[in-house]
Amino acid sequence: MKIQHLAMASVPIQTWGQIYDNQTALKKGTIFQELDMPFFAADDGGMSGCCCQVSDTADPNQREREEKMLQIYQVCFAADDLRLYLDTHPQDMQALDLLKSMLAQRKQLLKEFAQRFFPLTMDCMEELYQAGTGEDCYCWQEGPMPWEGACV
Amino acid sequence: MWTYEKRLQFPVKITKTCPKTAQLIISQYGGPDGELSASMRYLSQRYTMPVKAVGGLLTDIGTEELAHMEMICAMVYQLTRHLTVEEAKTAGFDAYYIDHTAALWPQAAAGVPYTALEFQSKGDALADLTEDLAAEQKARTVYDNLLRMITDPEVREPLKFLRAREVVHFQRFGEALEKTKEKLNEKNYYFYNPEFDKHMIIRE
Repeated sequence: MKIQHLAMASVPIQTWGQIYDNQTALKKGTIFQELDMPFFAADDGGMSGCCCQVSDTADPNQREREEKMLQIYQVCFAADDLRLYLDTHPQDMQALDLLKSMLAQRKQLLKEFAQRFFPLTMDCMEELYQAGTGEDCYCWQEGPMPWEGACV
Repeated sequence: MWTYEKRLQFPVKITKTCPKTAQLIISQYGGPDGELSASMRYLSQRYTMPVKAVGGLLTDIGTEELAHMEMICAMVYQLTRHLTVEEAKTAGFDAYYIDHTAALWPQAAAGVPYTALEFQSKGDALADLTEDLAAEQKARTVYDNLLRMITDPEVREPLKFLRAREVVHFQRFGEALEKTKEKLNEKNYYFYNPEFDKHMIIRE
């Protein structure tokens, strides 16, 4: 880190360190273990993580949808956090390699979700039309709205 | 240009109606340190940033804040969607109910409406990035306060996620400040305004 100066704020630049797996990262709110700084009054012990698991539904269709959606949440969040890191560390090849992997997984998961359930993006709609599976369906209004809390 | 992705950034699934909790959480929608204020702050400041990567970071964080605003709104909505008028009366949600029924409207917990006066876009990179660092800290404090008061785990989980994001964003803004300082005269960072006195910026 460079010399600090009077009358000027200074924050050390983060270096690449230990990374959480995608599942843990979503629960923690960051993939970076060093930036995971919880609040004492937020320690819920065993209760933690209730939002990041599929419900105990008996409907196999609903269960599959929730599982797939949870994977999308996890992969896309890892990509979000890596992107901010790369905004300030564009030369970090380890971060870039991980981002590439997340983006490839994201693309595949969004495609599978659209084919099986409904499209989450405009590009997913186009893929459906290309594949000939959704040609009679506008599809964009399919599925619950995100704020309904229905999918995961 | 923005495109919509039909999901939240983090799952919100609240099953218990609680207008009191909604009334507290709504502050992170339209309150002084809320997510609407955060996204407007960063998305307003980015145009005149002297370091391109910092404008890019403000765009990405400002966009993420929009997604956080959507999460907060989803939480308020799910906490009040099955509201009865009796619940609205007893839970201290009554004044909000009179004006907005169970709709979403940006205001602070104490009822002050959202206003652009909650944030600044100063046209000076050091002033703006220092504000952004403070903004992340203030939002973290609000989440700390909410987590002290709210016991429902279905509400606490997304709040903990949002709190963690404030810490990460603080780190990124700190790094953005360091990048900006590199373009300035380190003997006197205040010799000129890099957003206005553009001809004086150190070019690589």
